[in-house]
Amino acid sequence: MFACIYVPDFPVEAIVRAEPLLREQAVAVLEGKPPLVRVIALNEKARLLGMEVGMTKLQAAVFAVPDEKSAPNIVKPKGKSGTVVLRQRSPEQENSAHSALLDVAHAFTPRVEDAAVDTLLLDLAGLERLYGATANMARDLASRVSAVGLEANTAIAANPDAAMHAARGFSGTTVIPAGKEAQRLGVLPLPVLLDAFEIPPQTNSAADREREKLREQILDTLERWGVRDFRTLARLPDHALASRLGEAGTRLQLLARGAGMRPLALCEPPSGFEEAMDLESPVETLEPLSFILNRLLEQLCARLEARALAAQELCLRLHLEPRVADEDTTTTQELVGNSHTVGRATFERTLRLPVAMRDAKVFLKLLQLDLAAHPPGAPVIKVWITAEPAPPRSAQRGLFLPITPEAEKLEITLARISGVVGERRAGIAHRLDTHRQDSFRMERFAATPEETKQAEHPTTSDIEEQPPPLALRMFRPPWQLCVRVAEGRPVSVSSLPIQKDRGALQGKILWSAGPWRSSGDWWAENAKQGSASEDQARPWDREEWDVALANGNSNGVALYRIYRDLGSGHWFADVSYD
Amino acid sequence: MPSAATLRARIESSLGERLSSKLLLRERAAPLTVSMGVAALDALTGGLPRGALSEIAGPASSGRTGVMLAALAGATRRHEVCALVDASDSFDPASAVAAGMDLERLLWVRCSERADTPRRKGEASRTALGQPPRNAGFAFGGVLEQVLKVTDLLLQSGGFGMVVLDLGDIPAESARRVPLTSWFRFRRAVEPTATVLLLVEQEPCAKTCASLVVRLEREAVCARDSAPDQAQQARVPHPFREAKGWESGQNHLHIPGNSFVSHAVLLRGMRLRAEVVRSSIPSRANAVLDGDPGWTQRKLAQSAGVNFELRAAW
Repeated sequence: MFACIYVPDFPVEAIVRAEPLLREQAVAVLEGKPPLVRVIALNEKARLLGMEVGMTKLQAAVFAVPDEKSAPNIVKPKGKSGTVVLRQRSPEQENSAHSALLDVAHAFTPRVEDAAVDTLLLDLAGLERLYGATANMARDLASRVSAVGLEANTAIAANPDAAMHAARGFSGTTVIPAGKEAQRLGVLPLPVLLDAFEIPPQTNSAADREREKLREQILDTLERWGVRDFRTLARLPDHALASRLGEAGTRLQLLARGAGMRPLALCEPPSGFEEAMDLESPVETLEPLSFILNRLLEQLCARLEARALAAQELCLRLHLEPRVADEDTTTTQELVGNSHTVGRATFERTLRLPVAMRDAKVFLKLLQLDLAAHPPGAPVIKVWITAEPAPPRSAQRGLFLPITPEAEKLEITLARISGVVGERRAGIAHRLDTHRQDSFRMERFAATPEETKQAEHPTTSDIEEQPPPLALRMFRPPWQLCVRVAEGRPVSVSSLPIQKDRGALQGKILWSAGPWRSSGDWWAENAKQGSASEDQARPWDREEWDVALANGNSNGVALYRIYRDLGSGHWFADVSYD
Repeated sequence: MPSAATLRARIESSLGERLSSKLLLRERAAPLTVSMGVAALDALTGGLPRGALSEIAGPASSGRTGVMLAALAGATRRHEVCALVDASDSFDPASAVAAGMDLERLLWVRCSERADTPRRKGEASRTALGQPPRNAGFAFGGVLEQVLKVTDLLLQSGGFGMVVLDLGDIPAESARRVPLTSWFRFRRAVEPTATVLLLVEQEPCAKTCASLVVRLEREAVCARDSAPDQAQQARVPHPFREAKGWESGQNHLHIPGNSFVSHAVLLRGMRLRAEVVRSSIPSRANAVLDGDPGWTQRKLAQSAGVNFELRAAW
């Protein structure tokens, strides 16, 4: 058995998929360059209002008038009420819709033919055990297509062409039992057959132009003979039809009888997951953009779910409205962070997730927080979201393992914390392989549950045997000091005035130990790789002292490490012992 | 004379079904505790209670950070995920590794006055897309405001074994200005969880919201010569027996027998004293003091104390 998924009025469906509220309205899709803009597709409601494919934009605009009060001079067709929504054709949205269809089909069976942008053929052989009876399969297919935001006709028949004609001719779900093809398809009008006969469309090739010409000739001839449906064509004598219409006539008659059998031209599942939307007017604030992002992310997650995948990386690309005043600014803006790219009219952000996720709400919150921290700098006129697919997490936690934060929740929390304390100020401290003091690099935090090792509880004897080490508290950046030296050792300290806002560090040095000299990186002119900052990449040469300082303000004595930078001769305090 | 528990059992049995179970005063179970990483402190306090707020207070160089790192190291050794909200960006990863901490399991949040002011709820959605990135200019926000906001987010997120607020360099006057409602909110947030919320500061500021308050003081500092002629001293079993540091109770220090500079003098460690200021955890020390190991919040009539050491990693 074979199944066919056919999406009628595909350009309209691709737009309605991104804007579900339009499903209740009459919609017409325009294409072409002015002044040759014409209607190329419309839905059933628009047809009922009297619109037709091929209308000019001006003619279509008459149906798009909101009401008579706002435009009293324009006369609408008599007896027609309602408003037609006009939209420009969006190739990106059609591509996304087509990819979504392919995702659904490939999730159902690996044997899929991409017959047309709006038509897919599926081989159902051997799937009865998995999905049940053919009627169940047809319903299951329809619901899966509906889950990705498309309304499609599905049909199941004994051969692929019969299934395709049934899907194109009958709305809803159709199941044709084997041997009943001619009977069921007989009522279909002839254009359904000839439309299907044209596929796959490759309009630019010369062969297709000849095929189009042949199609018109055949249709004209059949109309003159009074043949208007499948049944009439199927009843024509074979030899007589072949002698008059040639091979094409024989082939058409075979299709009309529902008896054509051919192998499917199988296709690969789409490798990318991208959703796009053209905006009717530029979006200037994050709130309306969030609704658009939410819709796109839901579609993306539905597609990922259909393929049993999750996203490891999300890439948001925004096409920005060009501004004459700050065009130069946007072109010269440099990269900020590791994933922030600003071009002339495109803004791009990439979210790399620590674990594969498939939750549209989590994705939306992460994008909202990211865009709030990094606004694109201009109103948005087009949105793309691309997901890098990955196998979903398959982790089963042990009953006795320690608790860890949920990955999705933790990502949002980290994004919010970054919004509070700043970029790259929350994460894991990764120590660098150097003797330089306070050398580390901040890395992304990801709580991965321990699965292999058993939790090791420190025993009491361990604690008793190893007293905890003396800890250091760092001053970042080091405090610059004014130090009085007597007999080669520091005797008193005071903070320089510029450090006064950080608190007082001044008083008599009660005890000192040192100096310990250390230096490094003098051998490397540009030792910048692997360093946390440019400041940490410079050579250092210093003389350290441990001092006990009687702090004048706090009436206490505390231990500090102070040092003299031998390059500049200045004194600093960088550590307190605690 | 019957005890209170026996009397209560008699009354409840006599009332029987007439008393709704929801109206009964349920006895709170003693909290689970985790090790502080210092055996002497564990013996004194019974450990850090889960689902409660604990405080470690003390002046500078009183061992607060050493105890904090020991507690965090113990938590990461148990494979728990921990968070450190560092108000003054003073955390030293090298000290943490020396204490045995697994840095991969520690979320370090570095608060700073240079960071952006926290956004209010709903502000993000009203952001104009045309405005320049916020990183272009800094708005000076209060560090304490950041600490409280980040702690709120971490506790709401859940799943952390230990959350530490390091206010060690924040002046006590500033820390006391944190509204009591904030500490109350934090306490309520961790109560139903297994999270240990630890506050490190100069003076206790969470008041009755804290289940355990430990005050640390430095008693002595050990600084020994490591020169060859001092090898005999180095073999002395107790590191503080020959310490060239302060005597207990004194606030000054001298270098006996060596008045000139010597780079061989090394800071070896500190001897500290810990006192329990407030505790609602049944422990050996409390049981001895009060004769009642039950779960009751009280301020100890007589402080319990213990001495312990922090030794330099070098």
